[in-house]
Amino acid sequence: MGILSLITFLPLLGALIILVLPREQVKAVRAVGVLATLASLAASLYALSQFHPGDAAAGQLPMQFLEKFSWIPSFDVNYFMGVDGLSLPIILLTTLLCFLAAVYSASIEERVKEFYFWFLILEVGMLGVFCALDLFLFYVFWELTLVPMYFLIGVWGGPKKEFAAIKFFLFTLFGSVFMLLGILALYFQSNPHTFDMLELMKASAGFSREFQIIVFIGFWLGLAVKVPAFPFHTWLPLAHVEAPTPVSVILAGVLLKMGVYGLLRISYSILPLGYEWFLPGLIVIAVINIVYGAFCAMAQDDMKKMVAYSSVNHMGYCLLGMAAVSDAGFNGAALQMVNHGLITGALFFLVGVIYDRAHTRDINAFGGLGAKLPVYAGLMAMTCFASLGLPGLCGFISEFLCFLGAFPAWKLWTTVSVIGILVTAAFFLRMMQKVFLGPLNEKWKDLPDMSARELVAVSPLAVLMLLFGIWPRLVLDLMNPTLKVMTGMFPTMFQLVRP
Amino acid sequence: MLEHVYLIPILPFVTAFLIVFLGKEGPHSKMPYLGLGVMFWCLLQASCILAQAVSGAATLPYYKTMSWFSFGDFEMTLGVLIDGPAAFVLFVVTLVSFLVQLYSLGYMHGDPRFKRYYAYLSLFTSAMLGLVVSSNLLSLFACWELVGLASYLLIGFWFEKPGPAYASKKAFMTTKLGDCGLYVGLLLLFASQGTFDLQMLQYRVSQDMMPLEVATGVGLGFLFAAMGKSAQIPLFIWLPDAMEGPTPVSALIHAATMVVAGIYLVARTIFIFNAAPLAMGAVAWTGLLTAFFAATMAVTAYDIKRVLAFSTISQLGYMMLGLGVGGYSAALFHLTTHAFFKALLFLGAGSVIHAVHSNDMRDMGELRHKMPVTTITVGIATAAIAGVPFLSGWYSKEAILHAVYAHDPLMWFIAILTAGLTAFYMSRLFWLTFFGKAGDHHKWDHAHESPATMTVPLGILAFLSLLSGIVLDKTGVFARLVNLEGLLRAPGEALGAVAEHAAEHAGEAAEAVGAAAAHAGAHAGHHPPEFLLPGAALFVAFAGILGAWKLYASGDYSLAKSLRERFAPVAETLERRYYFDDFFLWMVDLSDMLARAFFWIDANIIDAVFVDGWAALSRAIASVHNWVDSRIVDGAVDGVGLITQDAGRGLRRLVRGQTQDYLLYAAVSVAVLAVIITTR
Repeated sequence: MGILSLITFLPLLGALIILVLPREQVKAVRAVGVLATLASLAASLYALSQFHPGDAAAGQLPMQFLEKFSWIPSFDVNYFMGVDGLSLPIILLTTLLCFLAAVYSASIEERVKEFYFWFLILEVGMLGVFCALDLFLFYVFWELTLVPMYFLIGVWGGPKKEFAAIKFFLFTLFGSVFMLLGILALYFQSNPHTFDMLELMKASAGFSREFQIIVFIGFWLGLAVKVPAFPFHTWLPLAHVEAPTPVSVILAGVLLKMGVYGLLRISYSILPLGYEWFLPGLIVIAVINIVYGAFCAMAQDDMKKMVAYSSVNHMGYCLLGMAAVSDAGFNGAALQMVNHGLITGALFFLVGVIYDRAHTRDINAFGGLGAKLPVYAGLMAMTCFASLGLPGLCGFISEFLCFLGAFPAWKLWTTVSVIGILVTAAFFLRMMQKVFLGPLNEKWKDLPDMSARELVAVSPLAVLMLLFGIWPRLVLDLMNPTLKVMTGMFPTMFQLVRP
Repeated sequence: MLEHVYLIPILPFVTAFLIVFLGKEGPHSKMPYLGLGVMFWCLLQASCILAQAVSGAATLPYYKTMSWFSFGDFEMTLGVLIDGPAAFVLFVVTLVSFLVQLYSLGYMHGDPRFKRYYAYLSLFTSAMLGLVVSSNLLSLFACWELVGLASYLLIGFWFEKPGPAYASKKAFMTTKLGDCGLYVGLLLLFASQGTFDLQMLQYRVSQDMMPLEVATGVGLGFLFAAMGKSAQIPLFIWLPDAMEGPTPVSALIHAATMVVAGIYLVARTIFIFNAAPLAMGAVAWTGLLTAFFAATMAVTAYDIKRVLAFSTISQLGYMMLGLGVGGYSAALFHLTTHAFFKALLFLGAGSVIHAVHSNDMRDMGELRHKMPVTTITVGIATAAIAGVPFLSGWYSKEAILHAVYAHDPLMWFIAILTAGLTAFYMSRLFWLTFFGKAGDHHKWDHAHESPATMTVPLGILAFLSLLSGIVLDKTGVFARLVNLEGLLRAPGEALGAVAEHAAEHAGEAAEAVGAAAAHAGAHAGHHPPEFLLPGAALFVAFAGILGAWKLYASGDYSLAKSLRERFAPVAETLERRYYFDDFFLWMVDLSDMLARAFFWIDANIIDAVFVDGWAALSRAIASVHNWVDSRIVDGAVDGVGLITQDAGRGLRRLVRGQTQDYLLYAAVSVAVLAVIITTR
C-alpha cells in the first residue's frame, strides 16, 4: 500500500474502529477519532519529507507516490493516485486542519460516535479528491464528501440546521451533476476512452474548441459552487452559520479548496481552450467576489457570517490569480489556498470559542473583552490582521502575488479589486473595536480565557501564519516547479493575458 | 558595523516577541529594560555607521541582498541599501526611539500593561528601521504596513476608553486608504519594470527605461500613500486624533517612526519623481497646501497636543514641498532637525500633562515657576521650530525656502506666510502654557517638575535642537552625504562595477559630488534677490513670536477673545478642520450604506433567484412529469393541485421533491449527451 492510500484511508480505519466501539465509550471514541487524524497527519508529513518538488525544466508535472490498480477494467477505470506540488500542500493543510478540528471537537457532547464517524469519512473524501488522478475516482471522492457534510450540518448544527444542510447538499449536487456530465463527455471524447487525468491532459490538444467550452461550462458549474464563485455562493453563509465550529473550519479551510484545485487541475490542464474562452468572465467574477464579498461581510453583525463572507472575498483572490495564467498568479492562487485554510480555519475556531462561552456571535453584544481575555484577543487580532493581508503574516504574500499576476493582463479590474482590501480591513477593525475595545460590557466580566484544548487547536495555525508570512518560500518552493510547468503547458494559448 | 546593519531592524523585532512571551505582565515589570537595552545597542550601531559614513571609512551606498522567495523564474530579494539619507534617518530613528523608551520608563511606570507597551514600542521602531534600510520596495511596503499596525496598537493602547479605540481605527483606516495608492503603484511598477529593487529601478530610470506614464502613475500612487502616512491634505485627519495614545508614543509617531515614513518613501524613490514632472508638481503643491492649511488650524486649537499635531502636519508639508521643488537635501535636513525639536516638544508636553493631568492649555499657564527644566527645553524647541536664527530649525527651513524661491516665487510667498503662522502658533503655545496666568489654581498647585528619566531626554533633545542645524550646515556634512547628484550617480557603481572597482572610484565620486555641491552653492549665490530671503524669514519669525506674546503672554486674553469673536466663522471653519473630517465620516457612512445595499441584494435577489429559480425549474420538471402521469394515470386535476400546494408550502417541502427530479434530469442529460456523442 502506497503512502497516499495510507494518508487517505487511515481515517477510514479510524471510522471503522469507532463503528464497533460501544456508544457509551465517549472517551474512547474521541481518542480514536483524534488518533486517526493524527496518524493521517503523520503520514502526510512523512510524504512531505520524501517529496521532491521537481524540476520545471523537465516540462512534466512532478507527479510522485503514484499508485495505479485496475478497478473497473471494462471501462478502464483505475484506482490512480499521485501528488505534485499543487496537491501536496493542500493535502497537508487538510490533514492538519482535520487533526485540529478533531481535537477541538472534544467539546461535542451529543451523539459523539456518529459525529466522529462522519467526520472521518469526510476526511477520507477530501483527501481522496486531492490524491486522485483518475476522474472517476475523483468524482467518487468528490461525492463522498457530500453525505458526511450533510449529516454534520444537519444533526450537529444550529437552529436552522436542516434547511442549511439541504440547501448545501442540493446546491453542491446541482453543480456536481454537470461536472459528472463533463467527466463522461471527456471519457467518450478521448480515444482510447480514459478517465486518466494525465492522459487527458495529453489528449486535450485533440479536443475541438467548442467541445472544450461546453465541457468547461459543465465543470465550472460543479467547481464554482464549491469555490464559491458569484453567483453560486449563497449556500455558504447559511451553511457556515448553522454548522458546528469544527465543521465550519473544515468547510472553509478545505472544502472550498476543492473548487479551486479542480479548476487548476482539470479545467485549466485538460480544457485550456475552454479556460481561455472563459477568462474575461473569470476576471469579472473574481472582482465581484472580492469587492461584493467584502461589502457583504461589512454588512454583517453575526461574526460567523462575516467570516463566511470574507471567505467569498478571499477566494476571489484565488480566482484573480488564476485569471492571470502567469507564474505570479498561479503561485499566488495556490498559496492563497493554503493561507486561507490556515487563517479562516483559525477564525472559525476563534468565533467558536466565543460562541461556546457567550452563546451569541453578535458583534454588538460584546465590548472591552481585550482586557478581560488577553490571550483570546491577541490570537483573534493576529488572525484578523492575517486575514486582512498584513505583511509579516501569511495572507499578504499570496494576495499580493495574485494581484501582481493579474495586473499586467487586467489593469482596470485588478485596480478595482484593491477596494476589496480596504473594505476587508474596515470590517475586521470594526469587529475588533466592537468586541475587544472600549469599556468592558459588565455582562461578560466572568468570561474565562481560552482553554488548553482551544489553544491546541488554534496555536499551530497562528505559528504557521507567522512562519509562512515571514518565510513564504517554505510553501512556495514546494509549489513553484509544478506551477511553472503548468503555466508553460500551453505556450501558444492565452495570448489575451500574455504580454 | 555596516555589514551587520540588518541587525538594527531585526533585534527590536525579536525583542518585541521576547517581551510579549517572557516575564510576567505587571506595572513593575522588568522586561522594559530589555527593550531599552536593545534600543541602546541599535543606537550605538547606527551612530557607528553614521560616523563611518561621515569619516569616509565606509563606502556608501552599501547594498546587500539575499533571496526571499521565488515564483516562476523570478527571485524576490530581501536586503539592505544604506546611502547617506538612510544613515542619517537610521541615526535619528534609533536616537528618538531610545530617548522615548527612556522617557517612558517614568511616564508609563505603573501602567498595568507596562510590559506590553514596550513590546509595541519595539515593534514600532523595528518596522520603521526595516523601512529605512530596505533595498526593495516590497519589503519596504511590508514594513510600511507594520508601522501602521504598531501605530494602531499604540494609539489604541488605552483601549478601554472609547477615544483611543476610535482613534486607532481611524489612523489605521486612513493610512490604509493611502496605502492602496502604494499598492497599485507597486503593481504598475512591477508590470512595467519587472523589479522592486531600488538600485535596479534607479538604473533603469537613468537609462530611460521607464515610460513617462508609468513614472507618473507610480509617482502619484506613492504620493497618495505618503499623504496617508505623512498626514498630508486630505488624509491628515488621523493625526490630530492620534494623540489619544500615550504622549511618548505621540513623540515617536511625530518625530521618528511614522509620519516620517511618507517623506522617506518619496525621498527614497525621488528618481521616479524626477522622471515625472506632473508627479513632482503634485508633491510640491500637496506639501505647500498642507503646510499652510495645517498652520491655520493650529492657530485656534487649545489642546496642547493638538497644536503640536497640526504643527507636525505643517512641517511635514514643508518637507514634502522641499522634495517637490527639488530641494532633496533641504527636505531631509528638515526631517532630521524636525525630529529633534518635535520629539522634544511632545516629550515636554508630556511632562506638562504629567504634571497638570490635562491637555487643555487653558488649564495651564505660569508653569515656568514650577517646571524650569521643561520650560527652558520647550522654549528652545519652540524657538527652533519658529525659525529663530542659529537654531536647528532656522537652517533647515531656510534651505527649503531657498529651494522654493528658486522654483516659484509665488510658492515661496505662501511658504513664508506659513513660516510666520508657525512662529505665531508655536509661541502662543509656549506663552499660554508657561507664561500667561494659571488657568486652574488647583492643578497649578499640584504641578511639579518631572523625574530625571523624563528630563534627561529633554535635555539631550534640547542640546540637539540647539546645535544640530549649525553643525550639520556649517561643516557641510549633511550636504555631502545627502545629495541628489550623489544619489543619482550611485546605481551605475553599485550595479555595473565589481566591489573593488567601485571602491577605487569612490574617492573620485566623492570629489565629483563635492564639486557639484560647491557648484550648486555658487550658483545659488548668484541669484540676485536671494540675500533678502533670510531677512524675510527673520521678519516673519519675530512678527509671529511678538504677535503671540502680545496676545497671550501677559495673562490678559481679552484681545485674543475679541479677535476670535470678530472672525467667528473663520475660527469655526478652522476648529472643524475645514470639514475634512465630516467629509470622511460621510464617506464611511456611504460605504456602510453600500455594504447594506449589497447584502440586501445578496439575500433578496441573488439567493432568491437561485433558490426560487430552482424552485421554478423543479416545478417545470414536475409539471412535465405530471403531464406524463396524467396521460397514463387518472386524476390529473388532483395531481396539479397537489403540486401547486407543494410549491406554496415553502422551500423545505419543495427541495425534497427536487432530489428525485435531479436524478431524472441527470439521467435524461446523460442519455441526450450519449446520443449526441455516439451519432457524431
